[in-house]
Amino acid sequence: MKQIAALAFALLSTPVTAQVQGVMLDEPVELPAFAFTNELGEDFTQADLDGNWTIVMFGFLSCPDVCPFTLGNLEAAVAETGMRVRPDSVPKVAFISVDPDRDAGYISEYAKFFHPEFESFTGTREQINTLVEATDSFYRILDPDHTGYYEVQHSSSVSVIAPDGTLRAKLQPPFDPGMTAEFLARLQIQYRRELTQ
Amino acid sequence: MIRFALALSFLAAPAMAGGLKVESPMVPLAPPGVMAHAAYFTLTNTGDTPRQLIGVSADGYMMAHIHMTEVKDDIATMSSVDVLEIAPGQSVAFERGGLHVMLMRPSAALEDGGTVALTLQFANGEAFPVEAKVMPMMGAKHSHGS
Repeated sequence: MKQIAALAFALLSTPVTAQVQGVMLDEPVELPAFAFTNELGEDFTQADLDGNWTIVMFGFLSCPDVCPFTLGNLEAAVAETGMRVRPDSVPKVAFISVDPDRDAGYISEYAKFFHPEFESFTGTREQINTLVEATDSFYRILDPDHTGYYEVQHSSSVSVIAPDGTLRAKLQPPFDPGMTAEFLARLQIQYRRELTQ
Repeated sequence: MIRFALALSFLAAPAMAGGLKVESPMVPLAPPGVMAHAAYFTLTNTGDTPRQLIGVSADGYMMAHIHMTEVKDDIATMSSVDVLEIAPGQSVAFERGGLHVMLMRPSAALEDGGTVALTLQFANGEAFPVEAKVMPMMGAKHSHGS
């Protein structure tokens, strides 16, 4: 229900000709405590959301097409956003692998490849499920084939979290840099307006 | 400018043989350590009989599969493609977010400017060699016609 309402809202509030790059949620969603880590011992917890905009993406490293495409586009979109907002409002990007069994050993290198400041983490199944659920995201690990190889299904959209730690919006493919930046800038204006009300 | 030059070099020498043409074969540079990345190209049947692509192999990889990404209701799913039928005159684009060759378990890291040797296998027994160039991932600015 939440998704449907949010989508309807976005459709009403944007011109029909504009490609929808994101959906602003009707109400901010509080996130539960979470903790992810990587093989360098860096961590990503709820505290990292404080005071800055964050984009969280779920994926997995054996993902040859969608995940690199999304991160490559996010890199361009974040660069564009940097031209529209104050430096301290440029979103941080965190990639969370939902496939720790295969990815935990070298997860930290992944997101950095797309931008030196992008970070990547994974965690326990429980932590992954907690944040996936809280952000209305989705993943499913499919049954392995005869070689033991398995596919992973996952949400194609990514979550936008405000400096107060609440989920505010979802970005959707194709993550066009200009339009995504425009969407993020508008989202930030709306957020600041709410704060001053 | 560099992109323009690359585009020209692709145009100049499409791989052609036996009623098949492959254009712009490329492998985007992938993050270090990843166990899977992708190859993209456009395959055209320039002959007058239908062709069936039934597999791909790649030097330096344990496996290569023809895969299709589908995004439905916000869920991205990949599935294997066993047979890809290409009608006479038809072009099939292997591109981001759609058909791609999934390259699995590389024996070495990709290097910018390097190549990956692919062999396309057809149902009539033909093996069609394709040399894919390794290059930085093109940004989103390129890909949004629709």
